[in-house]
Amino acid sequence: MAFLVRFWGTRGSIPTPGRATYRYGGNTSCVEIRNGESLFICDGGTGLRELGVDLIKRSSAPISAHLLFSHMHWDHIQGFPFFAPAYRPQNRFCIYGTHPGDTRFHSLLSGQMRSAYFPVDFSELNAHVDATDLGPDGARDIEGVIVRCFEQKHPGLSYAYSLEKDGLKVVYATDNEIDLTLTDPTQPVREPNAPRLIPGKFIEFCRNADLLIADGQYTDAEYLKCTGWGHARATTVVDLAVQAGVRQVAIYHHDPMQSDRDVEAKIEVCRQRAARFGSPLFVFAAREGIELKVN
Amino acid sequence: MAASNDGGDELGALTAENEIPVLPVQVITRPYMLQQIRGPGSPTVHNLELETMIVGRADDAEIRIGSTALSRRHMRLERYQGGYRALDLDSSNGVYLNEVRVFSAVLRDGDTLQLGNAVFLFHEGK
Ligand SMILES: [Zn+2]
Ligand SMILES: [Zn+2]
Repeated sequence: MAFLVRFWGTRGSIPTPGRATYRYGGNTSCVEIRNGESLFICDGGTGLRELGVDLIKRSSAPISAHLLFSHMHWDHIQGFPFFAPAYRPQNRFCIYGTHPGDTRFHSLLSGQMRSAYFPVDFSELNAHVDATDLGPDGARDIEGVIVRCFEQKHPGLSYAYSLEKDGLKVVYATDNEIDLTLTDPTQPVREPNAPRLIPGKFIEFCRNADLLIADGQYTDAEYLKCTGWGHARATTVVDLAVQAGVRQVAIYHHDPMQSDRDVEAKIEVCRQRAARFGSPLFVFAAREGIELKVN
Repeated sequence: MAASNDGGDELGALTAENEIPVLPVQVITRPYMLQQIRGPGSPTVHNLELETMIVGRADDAEIRIGSTALSRRHMRLERYQGGYRALDLDSSNGVYLNEVRVFSAVLRDGDTLQLGNAVFLFHEGK
């Protein structure tokens, strides 16, 4: 069965409303992934608010969803207190930790709703919001979808998730400075056009994905000023996708300083890079409000 | 800021002869449009005024394209958040938004939609 993937927030770090970001959107990280009746939500940035409104409009039936958080930086959780379905008693949400007994994400989410930060306490959410985890191997069958996690390079750590069913695979991998994990991190400056060697474990994690959604926040020039901030060069994501045999890659978590034109220019450079490698990889910019059918 | 009116001389200068004429206010509205720039029937412009519209080769499609590269009911356009969004109706050849194959998409001014051999430009209304 196909995966339906919809982008509700594609911006990194902080919301960027306004005309300059009108096409690709200003809401922060949130992606809805559906497989049949199963609903997965990757990250709860400000895009989550609109997803919540839409879910309520779609149907009056109880909503049940699996929440997969990359990490707890603000731009990935800020939408949660405004996620209207969480205030309705008939709804149920599972928040996944990455290893047995790991309830960090659940407790950090509730932490941002303490009175000093937000007027409504987590305990006042009427929906069932349960803490659970992906099990000892960081992998779990959730309603027939195999979900796996992978630890990434980011200040305070972050996690990528892969979702697989019926031979189809979607990978969500944001807030990951893969450039710092390269076998030779200085190579991209010395030989910008040479293939960058991505660690084998991460290539295997992304292997043959039908859709990879990956942090490609920076252009090459921007990255040199922002090295160590936890995000990737978009061009390095191209190398990851090519080496992993990915079908299509959505460059995600756009830098807040990038206008729509800047995002388009960033994507053009990525497409030229994939073409130079002779790869059939399709590169595009993650854009708020578009939905893809992965089949 | 309103112009200062504490200078009697300035006010006095506004006589019947040099007063700026006040024209009746006119709100210019331009409808949302789908401009077909390639494919059978192009060039042409379709004004989008209904809540939902079907694009396809069916006789009863609101925007009918006479091409076998399109499905009978290929795409639905529907009002969404004050604008429009496009939904692929499980067409054979898909809906491409600026070259990306999409299942649905909220449309923005200047977007290109390709359905089979028909290419459209989406224009937001004002
Ligand atoms: Zn982030
Ligand atoms: Zn982060």
